Amino acid sequence: MSTNDRRVMVHIRNVDKYFGHLRALTDVSLDIYDGEKVVVIGPSGSGKSTLLRSINQLETIDAGTIIVDGFNLTDPATDINKVREEIGMVFQLFNVFPHKTVLENINLAQMLVRKRSREEATAISMELLNKVGIAEKIHQYPTKLSGGQQQRVAIARALAMKPKLMLFDEPTSALDPEMIGEVLDVMKTLAREGMTMIVVTHEMGFAREVADRVIFMDYGAIVEEGTPEHFFTNPTQERTQTFLKQIL
Amino acid sequence: MPEEKQHRTVIAVTDGASIPSRKDAGLFTAWRVSFVGSVALLIYLSVFHSDPYFRILKFLPDGIFITFQVTVEAILLALIIGLFTGLGRISKNKVINGIASVYVEVIRGIPLLVQLFYIYFALGRFINVPAMASAVIAMAVCYGAYMGEIYRAGIESIPKGQMEAARSLGMSHSQAMLHVILPQAFKTILPPIGNEFVALLKDSSLVSILAVSDLLRRGREFASETFTYFETYTMVALVYLIITLFLSKLISRMEERLGVNQ
Repeated sequence: MSTNDRRVMVHIRNVDKYFGHLRALTDVSLDIYDGEKVVVIGPSGSGKSTLLRSINQLETIDAGTIIVDGFNLTDPATDINKVREEIGMVFQLFNVFPHKTVLENINLAQMLVRKRSREEATAISMELLNKVGIAEKIHQYPTKLSGGQQQRVAIARALAMKPKLMLFDEPTSALDPEMIGEVLDVMKTLAREGMTMIVVTHEMGFAREVADRVIFMDYGAIVEEGTPEHFFTNPTQERTQTFLKQIL
Repeated sequence: MPEEKQHRTVIAVTDGASIPSRKDAGLFTAWRVSFVGSVALLIYLSVFHSDPYFRILKFLPDGIFITFQVTVEAILLALIIGLFTGLGRISKNKVINGIASVYVEVIRGIPLLVQLFYIYFALGRFINVPAMASAVIAMAVCYGAYMGEIYRAGIESIPKGQMEAARSLGMSHSQAMLHVILPQAFKTILPPIGNEFVALLKDSSLVSILAVSDLLRRGREFASETFTYFETYTMVALVYLIITLFLSKLISRMEERLGVNQ
């Protein structure tokens, strides 16, 4: 890849992470460039979610360096809230706020964190709800929505912060099959618009179509990375081949 | 949604009046029998044996007022103490967590009556606090510890993903607590707080020892003047019973209204 002229959005160097005695990440190094779409795949327990969650410090790392958009997360002087404003995150279980309506879900952080007025926030929320295709649900509570709709609310909520980077942690794994498509479509639109995205997923079709680069992790380490073409037609590592055989 | 189920965690009630469950259908629920029975008995005694029962009843309202005053003031204070205790108990800061935990352990290990004596008589050697204020403070300090555990359980019943989602949007820990976690926890903790209110109302009878003229104290004053111990304490017990039964029902209604039982 011709990456030397592009800006590094996420710089990860020699990262280790332990859960008790379990080594969840082993000497992980990775650079993700502005506008790049990276899909991380691997068996469960391979450390892919932990890596993703380390990027906005939902997990704190035990060794190594992570620099996001110029902010060094391992530097105690870094205001993590400031960094997180620039990083949108979408979770497997949506984590929409059940006590707030769809509109309030999306307005809340805009008003509290970005200090937008209610009118400004609502205008942005409406625009995003149109984009994710649930504008007619704004005054509903999330519990009345399907899983796919809730996940689209969660995506809109993250986008409302106007992040520079979006993290997706298995966004379709908790969804019924018929709802996966509607969420992936929103993500594809986002990718076309040039958003920098890191996606942990088991959706190989999505990886093939959208990813600039696919990363395969196993036992807390990056085993292999490459373009989707390289990855799906001609993987070099044996573990990658085994994994792909199992899931494809 | 898997998280939705977790979110409806019901906190076990360890103390206080039982709150009638909606499942108790039918005409002869335990609540109805007790409530109608006690009201009927109160009316019967006041009307057909008005001397001394009606005289006793007329003597009690001042005491009922004081009982409510102590209960309401103590519960409001306990709600505030409990919030900070609960937040302290889940705090990652070891000092704050330690202080909150020790407070809960100490208070829960000392009988309320001893705490009342301690604040009024023992500390009375150093500072002179009026009986009423001592009573309210002692009850609030005691119930604050229990309330802290309720808050803690309520906060911990909210799925971890809620805090993570709020923090990932750039909210500070306290913003997330205030706008995301506590409003959800409040629904879960409302029934146990209602229970604590009823329990506190009953325990407030202990303050009669401190020369606070609550319902029990008024009864004792009347009885010792007229030597009608049986009649007076029968009326006092009936009044307590009617109040607590009524409040329990009110709380369970409110609970249903708020959809906590979904």
